[in-house]
Amino acid sequence: MADEEVEVLVIGSGAGGSPLANTLVKAGHQVLMLEKGPLLRTQQQAPDGLSDFKRDELFATGAEKRLTVPGMANIGASFYSSHVEPDLNDEPHVYRNSDGKDYATIEGYTAQVVGGGTQLYGGVSLRFTPDDLRLASFNAGRTDLRNDPNGEVEREARDWPVSYDELEPFYSEAERVVGLCGTRENQEKPASVDHYQPPLQPNPVSRFIAAGMDALGMKRYRTPLAVITRDHEPSGRTVPKDHETIKTAFVNRYGDPLGLKSNTWVTLLAPIVGEPNFELRANCVVTHLEAEGGRVTKAHYRDPAGNKRTVKAKTVIVACSAIESVRLLQLCGRLDPAFDARIQASGMLGGYFITHCFGGASAVLPERADKSKTLDSDWATDHCATPDFIRANGLWAGGAIYNNTSDAALPISLARTWQAQDMDNVWKGYLGQTDMVGDGFETYLDDNFGRRVSVSFMANQVAQRDNRIELHPTVRDKWGRPVAYIVKDWHSHDQELMNTLAHQCGEILRNAGPGVRFDGEGSVGGQVSRIANHVLGGARFGTESKDSVLDQDNRAWEFENLYVTDGAFMPTSGGANPTLTIQANSLRVGQVLLGRL
Amino acid sequence: MLNHCTRYLARDGDEPRHDFGQYEPGDPRAKIADAWRYPIVDSYYDGASMDTSYGFNCVTFVYDGRVTPASEVAVTGSFTELYDPVALKPVEFLGEPSGMWSLSVRVPKGQIYTYKLRVDGAWLVDPINPQVVTLDNGRQWSRFFTEGCQIPLTLARRERELLGRIVAHLLPFRSAENSKFIRGLYESMDRASRERQFPLAYRLDEEVGVVNYIDKVIARAERHNADDYKDCLSIIEGVLRSRYPGRDPVTLPSEAYADLYAEMASDDVGGWDLNRYGSPRYFLLLLRRHAMTGAFVHPRHGGNSGTAGWAYLETRFRDADGNTLFDWSQAMEAPLGRNEGYRG
Repeated sequence: MADEEVEVLVIGSGAGGSPLANTLVKAGHQVLMLEKGPLLRTQQQAPDGLSDFKRDELFATGAEKRLTVPGMANIGASFYSSHVEPDLNDEPHVYRNSDGKDYATIEGYTAQVVGGGTQLYGGVSLRFTPDDLRLASFNAGRTDLRNDPNGEVEREARDWPVSYDELEPFYSEAERVVGLCGTRENQEKPASVDHYQPPLQPNPVSRFIAAGMDALGMKRYRTPLAVITRDHEPSGRTVPKDHETIKTAFVNRYGDPLGLKSNTWVTLLAPIVGEPNFELRANCVVTHLEAEGGRVTKAHYRDPAGNKRTVKAKTVIVACSAIESVRLLQLCGRLDPAFDARIQASGMLGGYFITHCFGGASAVLPERADKSKTLDSDWATDHCATPDFIRANGLWAGGAIYNNTSDAALPISLARTWQAQDMDNVWKGYLGQTDMVGDGFETYLDDNFGRRVSVSFMANQVAQRDNRIELHPTVRDKWGRPVAYIVKDWHSHDQELMNTLAHQCGEILRNAGPGVRFDGEGSVGGQVSRIANHVLGGARFGTESKDSVLDQDNRAWEFENLYVTDGAFMPTSGGANPTLTIQANSLRVGQVLLGRL
Repeated sequence: MLNHCTRYLARDGDEPRHDFGQYEPGDPRAKIADAWRYPIVDSYYDGASMDTSYGFNCVTFVYDGRVTPASEVAVTGSFTELYDPVALKPVEFLGEPSGMWSLSVRVPKGQIYTYKLRVDGAWLVDPINPQVVTLDNGRQWSRFFTEGCQIPLTLARRERELLGRIVAHLLPFRSAENSKFIRGLYESMDRASRERQFPLAYRLDEEVGVVNYIDKVIARAERHNADDYKDCLSIIEGVLRSRYPGRDPVTLPSEAYADLYAEMASDDVGGWDLNRYGSPRYFLLLLRRHAMTGAFVHPRHGGNSGTAGWAYLETRFRDADGNTLFDWSQAMEAPLGRNEGYRG
């Protein structure tokens, strides 16, 4: 195998790698894709007719394990992860908390499996607004930005080197090939074509959300979701005769054994996996790249048995999710100073790591509904993404608001997420509330099961140089490689923005009708670790090499043949969940590559 | 096959990062992740019908021969006819042997099995699977159990009875009304359904299979919590005996358990030997997590007997027209549920 050579090597099979791989393979180029995680097929694809994704609450949040990574402040802590999330003791992400100590965390990890994060995500597939892509222009000369004493917000805002109009055809194409359901009217995101399949009937809890949005004059639309509701020609998938059976609460954090959730494996890879010019190797982790001058020549990887292998490639695409892509490039630099000099020419690799300002509000409804028949969200509004709203509130950017329908829908998940909104705190709220016992337990079920609703916002976070990904000085993964070290905090303006949008979410619930018991609103402000699994930035693209890591085509400035196409490229995080934008941009880079290969 | 191996077995690191207290010092299993997953017990489908498939699991044995290559690997055990050895096959990657060997077999659900591997003629217990039993003749065998197993593995009869009383206080199924519901559910089934869903009906009591779930989870996925149960149940037995001299703790009135629960919640139990186990509250929280999980988990894990936990919610929560507001069976595989596409 020593002489193996491929035209294009794609590292990672999620939203960043799969769209362009699909484009290149269909155009006849030879592509090898290496994916760290396993290939878990749908029932239809599997030779034994069974999927390794199950409708089983212990698959989303599994058996207790304990953190044993030396030097961590949370050593000994319990954690519960999905079967396709990394084992924290083998491959921890470490963040520096506000107490100055280091903690291992499951926050910010996407799934390690063919399809990546799109296997487990809720499927919310919103576009960014045109203004999300030009926040420097939008904020130029403004003096009304709240809680920005040093003027950093305007100074650090960047326009994307690609405009909404340039990205728009790729948004449309992504929506077509991925397979989404939803509605277009009332969105603040212009579309040239409507490829949405019809949404399913909303869950009954969502009528309260609709009422609250209407009472406030918030124009609403059915949340675009990456779930097919009709037969989908581009991927060859078909749906059950009774469309309503597509709805189950095994959505967010669950892989779909039937392949109806539009992850990149079923939509973009399975249709090309039989092509002679494409090969997908699962269970293969790339450890580092090798370069000669400005050309990456070779990738070193471990095969499924852990043996060292190499593959030569003419073009290399890195798409391992932002934290892991940045880490991979930093590891390459650690091994080879010449590589480091090129990839760190601007000194910015790892810097400007961003996630999302997010949070929301929750309430208890007067009537119960069957929340086990649902998808992840029913209604969305761009009310807080309009220029008028943003300016009127002294904010630099806005965000999307949508309701959650699959949260706390199943009995075990209701308990383990009780007053514990992130993966590091699963179970703690319920277990500690020891008065939930006997009759108290029944009261808890009567009051909450099928009656809880929540509304979330997802908004731009101010990009700051000091929010960054580094290599941890001491902690190593199971291959002996330094792990990613996340150092970040919120900007004071982020807190203003989060308070404003959380209040809007609260308003929706306070106006949702009589009998709706408002339960509180809040955000991730103040919590350093929270990431929403939206890992973005760290290798941003731009028009000037001094101010970015990648050029406008996602190519590393000092390399001829090295591209990064996961969320790491984003200079601002957008006011919506990022997956569809990563997919659209990957299609765009694929188009660029067609002209270069 | 490699989908089930790489994440857990492939590594360079030599640190025992996966020892949470379940291993003796120096056990090489502490260096690999989730050793408990082996052999892999998964769903089975015969390609024709869920009715004829549902009684079985597909069990996959894995032998890791990467360090010391083998030329022949076989397995024998109580699941094969007359203990005939069956050969594992080399698992290939890119047309070359990966060093891993595997074999998948169809095995009935609800049972315990013992087995050994034969590697180049030498018999050994499975070096990966932590479940090892010593038989009456003193010989060690590897063990696994299949889904929905109701046969006790970890907890003795006395421990199960005591645990059942504590769990009955934790969960709502203890009230007279709910107990009647659970019995009614059993009695409403036809005989075939009963035998399928309640293979050992005498265990169907007020704790809806939670004790059995705990017995199984501490035998496998959370073996590191097994000593917590052993120690704390023994302490609790002693505490209750000293509080109620001359009475059997298992037959005490429910108030005795309510008092005990409240004291454990406040981490202050009169008569608790803190030198043996430092925090009664810590154990209570462990028990709360296992009780909640065991009551509503997929029955493959040994809890939620006969889907009694789900049926409780299904029956309790209905709209004005009497339609259920927890229609769990729509999503679940047949014959457990009524979904026509999903096979579990």
